Amino acid sequence: MPLDTSSAYPLALLRVDGRRWNDLRRLHAAVRTQAAADGSAYLEMGNTKVMCTVTGPSEENKRRTAASTATGNTGGAGGGAGAGGAEVAVEIVVGGFSSVDRKRRGRGDKRIHELQTTLSKALAAALHTHLYPRSTIALSLHVLSQDGSLLAALLNASTLALVDAGIPMSDLPVACTAGLTSAASAADDPLVDLNAQEEQELPFLTLATLGDTDRVMVLVLETRVQAARLKDMVDLAADACKSVHKSLREVVRRRGEHMVEEGAVEKGASMAMDMDIDV
Amino acid sequence: MATQGPVIVLPGDQIDPSLIPSRPKKALKLGPGLRHIPPNELVPTVAGQLTTDHKKNSIWVEYNGGRYIPAVGDLVIGTVQRSAAEYFYVTLTDYTSNALLPQLAFEMATKKTRPNLNPGALVYARVCLANRHMDPELECVSPATGKADGLGPLNGGMLYDVSLGLARRLLMRKSLEDGKVAVLEELGAAGLAFETAVGRNGKVWVNSESVKTVLIVGRAIQETDEKNLSVDQQKKLVRKLIKEVS
Amino acid sequence: MPREAEPSLNERAFVVQALQEGLRIDGRALDQFRELDLKFGDQYGVADLTLGKTRIFAKVSAEVTTPYTDRPFDGIFTITTELSPMASPSFEVNRPTETEIMLSRLLEKTVRRSNALDTESLCLVSGQKCWSIRVDLHVLSHDGNLIDASCLAVVAALRHFRKPDTSIEGETLTIYTPAEREPVPLSWLHSPLCVTFSFFGEEADIVVMDANLLEEQLRVTSFTISFNKHGEICQGAKLGGTTVEAMTLIKCANDALDKVKELTTWLDLKLVEDSKRRDKGGLMAELSAENER
Repeated sequence: MPLDTSSAYPLALLRVDGRRWNDLRRLHAAVRTQAAADGSAYLEMGNTKVMCTVTGPSEENKRRTAASTATGNTGGAGGGAGAGGAEVAVEIVVGGFSSVDRKRRGRGDKRIHELQTTLSKALAAALHTHLYPRSTIALSLHVLSQDGSLLAALLNASTLALVDAGIPMSDLPVACTAGLTSAASAADDPLVDLNAQEEQELPFLTLATLGDTDRVMVLVLETRVQAARLKDMVDLAADACKSVHKSLREVVRRRGEHMVEEGAVEKGASMAMDMDIDV
Repeated sequence: MATQGPVIVLPGDQIDPSLIPSRPKKALKLGPGLRHIPPNELVPTVAGQLTTDHKKNSIWVEYNGGRYIPAVGDLVIGTVQRSAAEYFYVTLTDYTSNALLPQLAFEMATKKTRPNLNPGALVYARVCLANRHMDPELECVSPATGKADGLGPLNGGMLYDVSLGLARRLLMRKSLEDGKVAVLEELGAAGLAFETAVGRNGKVWVNSESVKTVLIVGRAIQETDEKNLSVDQQKKLVRKLIKEVS
Repeated sequence: MPREAEPSLNERAFVVQALQEGLRIDGRALDQFRELDLKFGDQYGVADLTLGKTRIFAKVSAEVTTPYTDRPFDGIFTITTELSPMASPSFEVNRPTETEIMLSRLLEKTVRRSNALDTESLCLVSGQKCWSIRVDLHVLSHDGNLIDASCLAVVAALRHFRKPDTSIEGETLTIYTPAEREPVPLSWLHSPLCVTFSFFGEEADIVVMDANLLEEQLRVTSFTISFNKHGEICQGAKLGGTTVEAMTLIKCANDALDKVKELTTWLDLKLVEDSKRRDKGGLMAELSAENER
């Protein structure tokens, strides 16, 4: 990975795409991309491009009553439903054109199912689902291009779309990846926001936190790493999540300003979701 | 009671005629587990211990079945699933259809003041209607007097699963002699303050001020059940558990 | 009527209250595993694991097939899980529930992706013939913590398994039956084992190891981490649910490492016991071609 091997400071080395170890990729996000859906968002983390639409809260499907449990231990990919709170149903479609080689993934793919369950459980914990008993909040995610950090991008896009739909939540869930290089010379160097090539070769984890805190919503680690390095990776990812959080808040704030300009919302009118303008 | 030790019968066995109590004036009453093939054949249909009662002139088979079949007059502990217009739907055993508990079948319940039972609440009720063709029905009042007699919602405490045989023995009037269950008496004698409710459908509810007491009682009951402890072993178990805690 | 029986409100409240006082319903400590028992079958590669009332049965089988076209130098290694109504009436045959999918994904990540089994050693003739090792996992009884028990059963079965010996002369491949040549063990690189932590309480601050079924139904979230005895994390998964402090997760990881070392020693012991049982008369020492160094 490092281009410059003769430097005395390993952390100054550049990665394949010219970033330093703690540079996030270009995060571009747009909210309300689809007028027809209740909430929608489009997010790019570097070359990973994800679209998300939210429909709901809407009336519960009759067939759900047969398989509803309070914690979603059995049944389909849905969070707590029924009298307890709204169910968060997540559906992910990965386009066959999204990766370098064209590969068509069926609906029954267990990896996709795992992603759906993860997102559904994570969002069910962050959203105020108790306000909408017996309803369903349906999220539909489409992956247009994959270049690493897929779960993180999906979660960030879902967050924006849910904010756009106006569904109350305690804080913004944000996610990011962090990894370690195994540089031959020095100890492992940290890396943040890995792309596909780095993900294939290096140990990395995806971490999702709630807002600005250090409370972990999702942690997924699928590669082998020494136990002692786990703490470093988690700290790294938590810091990266804070940067992502700042960017997402900025996106939401700009959207709010735009809505005020348009006249969709009266300036100064108090809303359920107060905007605080950072100074 | 059988004098030559417990008689174990299997389905289809012949019953020794000398065991059948016979009083000239009274008709022989058949209890669960036996089938009468006229004119005078008695065949056991389940495997268990053949028990007789000479005073009441009755004969039946004691067996430890797997699944609870509701019978009229049984006291059971059920979990409220949901409440509909006139009834509560109560689960007696998992994976069977629900039993119906009328909303008015509580003490002091009128059309205006209905009991407030949330889904997931426990009730101690009596089976008032049970046959093969219909869902069982429950009630929380005694039909004659209109008083609750301890029936009704159960608050707090913890629910434990036991086998049907142990539940039946716990519900016997003389549970020490007939049922050989001494656990609860021993625990009470050891100074623990707790209350219990036993459901014939294999559930025991235990409540107490302290969490530890509930845990000890629950563990004692479950160990008695799983390991088929005799009265002496039960006493030893209680002593051991009390010592562990104090 | 496949519907998971839900715990009543009383049980819910009581279990949480007891945990807040540091007590579990069955009297265990918060980080205590239930009783573990492992029996091997007479055939190689059969493991029957009991963890409290949870019972898992794993069987390994091998056959010769053609390798995947995009991986001509690797053998095939698959793990299939079966949750039948025998385990719990809420499972249906052939209908994958969420539990089953998560279980098979976790086993996949822990055992397959971490390269516990060297698939290159399964290759016989590159591009044409290779071994296909298949682990069939049956859950016989579900009383919580299927993940830890299944991983242990899979690892035990794979380490116990012996595949038939082969030899290649030129282009011909000879596979020897067990009668001709003693079967050889698989090329096992490391033993990954899982530990699952369940969290309770609104802040998810009560941590419990090895939850039984009731505790699993009442937990707010869970974290599964797999280690091998060398201290490498093979995978970690906390998939949603209530948020947990990062420091708590790190501490769980350290506790898990100790537990995995303990479990690995226990597993080694069981395997040694089994080989002694088979090795009546010191036959293995005669057959083995190793020199004493």
